[in-house]
Amino acid sequence: MVKIIANNIEMRFGSRLLYRFDRLSLAQHQTIHLQGDNGSGKTTLMKMLAGLQAPSLGEIHTEGFAPTPWWRRNPLLGKAVYLHQHPYLFDGSVAYNLNYVQPLCDMTEQEIASRTQTAIEMAQLGGLLNQRAASLSGGERQRLAIARAWIMRPHLLMLDEPTSNMDKLSQQLVLTMVSHLKQQGTGMLISSHQSCLLTGLCEQTWQIQNQAIQVSPSSLDERPFTPSQQELRYVTAN
Amino acid sequence: MSEGWLALIQQALSLLFSLDPDVWSIVSVSFSVSLAALAITLIPSMILGFVLAFARFPGRWFATNLVQTTQSIPTVVIGLLVYLMLTRMGPLGDLKWLFTQKGMILGQMMICAPVLIAMSQAAFTSVDKRAWETSRTLGASWLRSVWLVCRELKVPLLMAIVAAFSRILTEVGCSMMVGGNIAGVTRNIPTAIALETSKGDFAQAIALGLVLLILALVLNFTLGTLRGRAEPRSL
Repeated sequence: MVKIIANNIEMRFGSRLLYRFDRLSLAQHQTIHLQGDNGSGKTTLMKMLAGLQAPSLGEIHTEGFAPTPWWRRNPLLGKAVYLHQHPYLFDGSVAYNLNYVQPLCDMTEQEIASRTQTAIEMAQLGGLLNQRAASLSGGERQRLAIARAWIMRPHLLMLDEPTSNMDKLSQQLVLTMVSHLKQQGTGMLISSHQSCLLTGLCEQTWQIQNQAIQVSPSSLDERPFTPSQQELRYVTAN
Repeated sequence: MSEGWLALIQQALSLLFSLDPDVWSIVSVSFSVSLAALAITLIPSMILGFVLAFARFPGRWFATNLVQTTQSIPTVVIGLLVYLMLTRMGPLGDLKWLFTQKGMILGQMMICAPVLIAMSQAAFTSVDKRAWETSRTLGASWLRSVWLVCRELKVPLLMAIVAAFSRILTEVGCSMMVGGNIAGVTRNIPTAIALETSKGDFAQAIALGLVLLILALVLNFTLGTLRGRAEPRSL
């Protein structure tokens, strides 16, 4: 089982202390709801665990991943996929964005092709494949970004406010994809101000408050997830 | 338009379309020298632009301003500097590059590099940080992510290349001083236009001017098409 562990972390912006904590870990088969007010540091925490931002103090290490090649300076990068609140789509078509991750997947070609096709169907992007990604609506952009990550079958995934400004259909489609990932054992950290469809999947909450992070329930068995808890089905339009 | 003007333009066009060897030799010198200068300078300048945009090191502010300043140095001053370096008594005198195409290439490299560095730095600075982060978090290597960023910035980077190429292809001061305007060897379009105009041979000057004009139109319309397709990025 793969895991990211953060020990004795302190995060500051200049002299302002964002938070300080002794230990947090995100493992496969865990789904965690990250809560906190605006500016409390939810995005910073996610980026830190994904290796995109260094903590002011403390260390973050991983367990269970394949050894990092010597030429990779940052061993955290690429271990957990972080999806921005406003996802970045590369200049080009929807198909280009989906195909970008194909060489980065640790799977056979047939498996990648099959997962890509399934992701297109789940995110209902079939009719948009040749459209420029820049012309998509907010919900379609988020669906494409999650579909792009879904193809990779990441061990760990961080979703930053994934359903903000989304209509019900897009929320349902995203829920289906995220539920599939959960079923496949992807560990997820989902940040959201309020409870939503996705936070219903979470078994634990990390609350950023008063420059600390409260975890509830405080311990969580890292047992393999049993898929029967969630009814998974494709959601069709209308 | 007077008949004299029409006759001049007709002569210029006939020089171009009859493949007049003098005219096309000048065009060939111009393009071979400027393309060589651009080709040698392009990659190192883009790397420097990237470093100045992203790396944090002591002296970065000074280096950025120095590059900006060198952009606005007149080409004759760069010509003078290169001339002094290449003259027999100069530090590079042993190369014997004065009044040769190699000397012209060196001069044009010095004109081209600051434009490329400054414009590519501006382009790299404008990149959306999320492009880099997304590529890296998806597991792409450093090199693949750099390539992705360059792809995302293809329009501003192409604009930098076109601006640098236009500047060296049309500069007259440095080419005149370092090249010496020797027919068939170092005579390029701008120096030939200056010479033919002073001699009163306007037909050849216009013919060469038309080549530059057509090139400018082709480059800028191509760039305009690319720019037109690029859509503003929404959040």
